[in-house]
Amino acid sequence: MNLQLTLAWRYLNGRKLRTFLTTLAVIFGVLIIFGMNIILPTMLASFQANMMAATGTVDATITHQTGGGFSPDVADGLGGIDGVRAVALSLNRTVNLPADFVDGDPAIPDRISVVSLIGIDPESAQSLRVYLVQGSGRFLDPTDTTATVISQSLADAYRVQLGNTIALPSVSGVMDLTVVGILPTRTTPGNEEVLVTLPQAQVMIGQADQINTIDIALETMDEAERAAILAKIEEAVGENYTIGSLEPGSEMFASLKMGQIAMNMFGVLALFMGGFIIFNTFRTVVAERRRDIGMLRAIGARRHTITAVILIEGLLQGVIGSGIGLVLGYLMGAGVVQLAEPAMNAFLNIDMGTPVVSPALVATSVLLGVGVTILSGLIPAQNASKVTPMDALRPSVAEVETRRRMSAGAIAGIALVILAITALASGDSTFIALGSILFLVGLILVAPLLLRPIAFAFGKLTSLLYTRQGIGEIAQGNLTRQPSRVVITASATMIGLAIVVALGGMSSSLSSMMNQVVHSSLGSDYLLIPPSISVWSGDMGTGPEFTERLQAIDGVGDISTLRFAASAVNGQPISLLGINPETYPRVSGLDFMQGDDSAYENLAEGRAMIVNGSFLMAFPDIQVGDQVELATANGSQAYTIVAVGSDLLNAKVVTAFISQANLAADFGRTDDVFIQFNLQPGVELEDVDAQIREVAADYPQYTVVVGKSYIDQMLQLLNVVFVGMYFLLAFLALPSLIAMINTLAISVIERRREIGMLRAVGATRKQIRRMVVAEALLLAAVGTAFGIASGMYLGYVLVDALSTMFPMEYMFPLGGILGGIAIGLIFGALAAIVPARQAAKLEVVEALRYE
Amino acid sequence: MSLIQTENLTKIYGSGETAVTALDHVNIQIKEGEFVAVMGPSGCGKSTLLHLLGGLDRSTDGIVIIEGTSLAEMKDDDLTKLRRQKIGFVFQFYNLIPVLTAVENASLPVTLDGAKPAEARKRAAEWLERFGLGGRLNNRPDQLSGGQQQRVALARALVAEPALILADEPTGNLDTRSGDEIASLLRDVTKKYGRTVVMVTHDPRIAAYADRIIFLKDGKVVDETNLERKGGAEKIASKMKEIGD
Repeated sequence: MNLQLTLAWRYLNGRKLRTFLTTLAVIFGVLIIFGMNIILPTMLASFQANMMAATGTVDATITHQTGGGFSPDVADGLGGIDGVRAVALSLNRTVNLPADFVDGDPAIPDRISVVSLIGIDPESAQSLRVYLVQGSGRFLDPTDTTATVISQSLADAYRVQLGNTIALPSVSGVMDLTVVGILPTRTTPGNEEVLVTLPQAQVMIGQADQINTIDIALETMDEAERAAILAKIEEAVGENYTIGSLEPGSEMFASLKMGQIAMNMFGVLALFMGGFIIFNTFRTVVAERRRDIGMLRAIGARRHTITAVILIEGLLQGVIGSGIGLVLGYLMGAGVVQLAEPAMNAFLNIDMGTPVVSPALVATSVLLGVGVTILSGLIPAQNASKVTPMDALRPSVAEVETRRRMSAGAIAGIALVILAITALASGDSTFIALGSILFLVGLILVAPLLLRPIAFAFGKLTSLLYTRQGIGEIAQGNLTRQPSRVVITASATMIGLAIVVALGGMSSSLSSMMNQVVHSSLGSDYLLIPPSISVWSGDMGTGPEFTERLQAIDGVGDISTLRFAASAVNGQPISLLGINPETYPRVSGLDFMQGDDSAYENLAEGRAMIVNGSFLMAFPDIQVGDQVELATANGSQAYTIVAVGSDLLNAKVVTAFISQANLAADFGRTDDVFIQFNLQPGVELEDVDAQIREVAADYPQYTVVVGKSYIDQMLQLLNVVFVGMYFLLAFLALPSLIAMINTLAISVIERRREIGMLRAVGATRKQIRRMVVAEALLLAAVGTAFGIASGMYLGYVLVDALSTMFPMEYMFPLGGILGGIAIGLIFGALAAIVPARQAAKLEVVEALRYE
Repeated sequence: MSLIQTENLTKIYGSGETAVTALDHVNIQIKEGEFVAVMGPSGCGKSTLLHLLGGLDRSTDGIVIIEGTSLAEMKDDDLTKLRRQKIGFVFQFYNLIPVLTAVENASLPVTLDGAKPAEARKRAAEWLERFGLGGRLNNRPDQLSGGQQQRVALARALVAEPALILADEPTGNLDTRSGDEIASLLRDVTKKYGRTVVMVTHDPRIAAYADRIIFLKDGKVVDETNLERKGGAEKIASKMKEIGD
């Protein structure tokens, strides 16, 4: 074992550049998988830390399964259950604050951008928790109205003392609260709390007579007894309630999950490519060391000793690569989290915490990294063990594959490609996604057959470049004589470019769709935007008087608002948005995937809803026309799905749109969380702008945005996202460069004698260099051709998958294809540099003598 | 008693019309402690003979017997073990592992045989010192001259204390002086250390260091000469001319 390890280590060390390049491939895959999987949980953890305000040390927390409010009657009788020490009711609300709301100073970065407004019953709350009011202050009294108790740290942020007032947005404009007591500085994670009496909170939030949380403390610490008591509590409240710690974030999770799946796909593809590269590198290694291996065999090394040397080399590289990948992945994850912070803050009002790393993720990443390396090393290691002692003594002649018959692989490949295309025609998303894998594998299998014609066609091109020197023909011959090896390299290039073309196609489809949706759903003259878009539950809404005041301004036309309520279908949370069926289509509008504008009338008529694409993805069994039971605070209500449509803001969240009348009747919510309106025809912006902003100033939870500029801002943001995506793509295509360098290096090594001969009969160094470059370009061309074919398929699949969520069509990815060709050929030329120089540098005598 | 002998050893490469007979019913016997050179024109089968003697290649017909055991019946792993313990190889291009030091290269056979690293190193160092490389133990092959590399290879062939050393054109890649040094070391190996050496060469001057020369032509043994020390090289050269080199 010792010897194998020494040999493996020395060999790796002796070829630093190649070791680096190969290891780079492993690093890449691990980096992407690890990094990306850090980002999502970190965002979620931050989100939960922000949302989970006051679970504290209570033993059980009861919430409605929708997360919405419910009647205090639910708690009746809970106090009577044996073993329950205390029961406290509260109405909690995360309140996202506008920028500079607390300190009022744009120069200072906001430390507090979100607080938890908590309405409590002072007596029962104190029976559950200890509130250490400092100094001469006091705790809340049941008769208090605008009194509040806050922590020292929040008081500092507001720059207030005992007896001063702090301002907080409420449904009826800004509310001033008098600080009657100050608690110690907050040290636990989570939001700063603003404690008020329950009735006061119900007024501020606009949920009269409702609570949303029941906290319970138990008398015993014995696990078994506690479980029994909890079971009794569960029975008492019924199945619509959830017992346990708060788990907010399902909306957020849904929207991030998509991104994570896409990124994991990237990671797996990167590792897949990494596998190809390692496979190729080890083939190079075995080719280079034929003599060494033969000698070892001659002096008495067993086959498995040789296998072990190669595998240990793979293992070392896998371990080192995974290690570095973990570190870089962490840095990337942390970096993205840092970079995303401003955006997350602006759109979701979340402060990012430190990156979250689970041991399982580390284990999976390492396992994948090391596993892929070893798997890829297996075949070359096996081949190495088949090197006979004779190879140490006999000149090795580069092999020529003579078989040209249709192999079983090629036939299987054709079958797979046909199957994949049939899957495309079937229109079923699952089949199509499966088809994309079949297509890739199929192409790789068919590739040896197609290689000759493709190489021939491109060979003609290169011969044109190097006229009358025969260089192009030699290069072409060099490629076609070992189709299977060339195909392996070309496959790595193919996957790299397939990704570029696929995502290029997807993003051109996506950006054209985004343009359209942005204009239709955000096309109003004015937008009033809450701190958090799409995660509506954290936004403090406004009551009807606000829109009444806006409407009263001369020149303001139709006003459309969104109202939010949480609900659940089959126990799975969904987002419900209330719209006004009359004004909504005039000011904003949905892009319909099924049904049309007449659906709005249906909403006005009865319990009907329009669902978005994410909804259908989440509930595959549900279709248009079905009746669906929505969980409400008072049992469930059946709603009929009348159409499928989406807007931009809610596209990635499982959402249903119902009329505001129904939202008020069934869910008790009448507060607006997002407002859009148009001006009357002929009214100029300047005439009304000041008045609008004056009214809105009383409701600081909204940012007033003129529609046109908001659209520009959104599109700009989208562009940044797309640029970032292309950057990532180029990054991902990089490993294919390594693969090409390796293949070229092998072919140079194997043909030293030939090259020597060419030099001896009069080929100049320049001609030799050109031959290798021509070979590289051919290789790149083959990979590019395959890459574009499979990229188009993959792109179609991606767009198809997304079109269930967004109304989008597949656009021919001309940009992606041109980019792919450019990248392919540039990489081909780059890959040739080192091997071409090596080949050209070869001394004639040296090369001829080399056996 | 002979250490190694062949009975009707035949090797045919290819088949049908393209078949080439490299060895044709060769019967030779080599005694313990003998230094034998195999000579002959290009393509006479001398390298093939050496490969078959070392169990590196399999014969088409006939057998090789080493210390009374026929190689034909041995499995790959047994052959590997035999090579490791009984046979040492010296190649024309030294075939040292470029990433290992002189002493590590020389100790390979015993390391492969499971010796402790310290023990393997000690044994390899002893042989390297005997061949005048005591000061270059930790140099890598690229830091050694051709003659020095071949001496490392010779140490590697001897480190496992094999009975038989097979050398394939051991001086083919060396200048005259280094070639003579290696040839005389090979002679020492037989005379001083009692090993048997079979060496393939086409250089009459080098062959003159041997006790006996076997001449091959077209896969057949055409002559055997026991040498006297004086004027050996000239005699051998004229013999080679005679058989049509």
